[in-house]
Amino acid sequence: MFTEPEFPEPWELWIRATVLHQFVSDNGAWLWPTLETLHFIGLSLLFATIGLFDLRVLGLGKGIAPGALHRLIPIGIAGYAVNVLTGIFFFSGFPEQYFYNPAFWWKGTFMAIAGVNVAAFYLTSSFREVQMLPAGADAPFRAKLIAGTSLGAWCLVLICGRLLTFYRPPIFH
Amino acid sequence: MTPFEAVFSWVEDTPLSMWVRGESMLAFPTILSAHTLGMAFLAGTSAGMDLRLLGLANRVPLRELEKFYPVLWLALALSFVSGTLLLIGYPYKAFTNPVFYVKLALIAVAVYLIVRIRKEILLQPNPDAPEMYRRGRLLGMISLACWAGVIFAGRLLAYTYSYLLVGMPNNF
Repeated sequence: MFTEPEFPEPWELWIRATVLHQFVSDNGAWLWPTLETLHFIGLSLLFATIGLFDLRVLGLGKGIAPGALHRLIPIGIAGYAVNVLTGIFFFSGFPEQYFYNPAFWWKGTFMAIAGVNVAAFYLTSSFREVQMLPAGADAPFRAKLIAGTSLGAWCLVLICGRLLTFYRPPIFH
Repeated sequence: MTPFEAVFSWVEDTPLSMWVRGESMLAFPTILSAHTLGMAFLAGTSAGMDLRLLGLANRVPLRELEKFYPVLWLALALSFVSGTLLLIGYPYKAFTNPVFYVKLALIAVAVYLIVRIRKEILLQPNPDAPEMYRRGRLLGMISLACWAGVIFAGRLLAYTYSYLLVGMPNNF
């Protein structure tokens, strides 16, 4: 089982002093699988909504007007919120297994790419162009590029998340 | 040793089983990643359709959801192949855990619902008619519950096994 590093950094001590850290490390046996389940359900909701929307923009299910599918996006945002929240629990419980882990930083990098991509969609005319597309219409190239980037980035976020365990610092093995 | 145990030990001694459990990042970690991607696209895409059946995004014509079925079947194939490889790596661990059978049963129901939703709702002459709604909503709710159960059971597998005769891969 996990033993805490002998010489923790100040930020590690700060996290260990939080109520959240205490709560997660005291209740790991039931809490950890519960948090993981919620994290997986959250990511499935993300793929359920943003995934379908991206696929439509890329050209699958063209008979659907993208604007109609876009109504599912709030559920995806809710799934994302669940994952940020459960992610904060994970990190507070065992910060070192993430901080000293290349997979964690790669995951963060792909999340940042996904975030910039979201901004590129909603803050440009792309969003309006896609929302106005009727059923059957092909999306503009730029929107397809954004949809492809979104799908790819979320897949990589998922893969890096799954690989976290294999890149933990040696103290966790 | 029961005949089942004999089969498990035999499988665990095969080169493929040893490769799955081995050091290679292309083995266990890659297979697990593929299994998770499969889950995301299978449970995810199915859940997206369920949300529509529950009445969300109701301007999406139901019949068009059928176009996403190849995604479901591809994701199911990916999950099945990667899941089979994981089983070859750890037959004893999986088959001696009751939770594994709960997971399999829930997957069977969820996949059956995917087929039923297509036949009974999406491919009907008037899938968007109000009288279809109650039936679709029921199927959608059961499907969502099944996927949540599959995910919960799947996650529990890592915590509930009782027999692990072969070691876990390094770095796990």
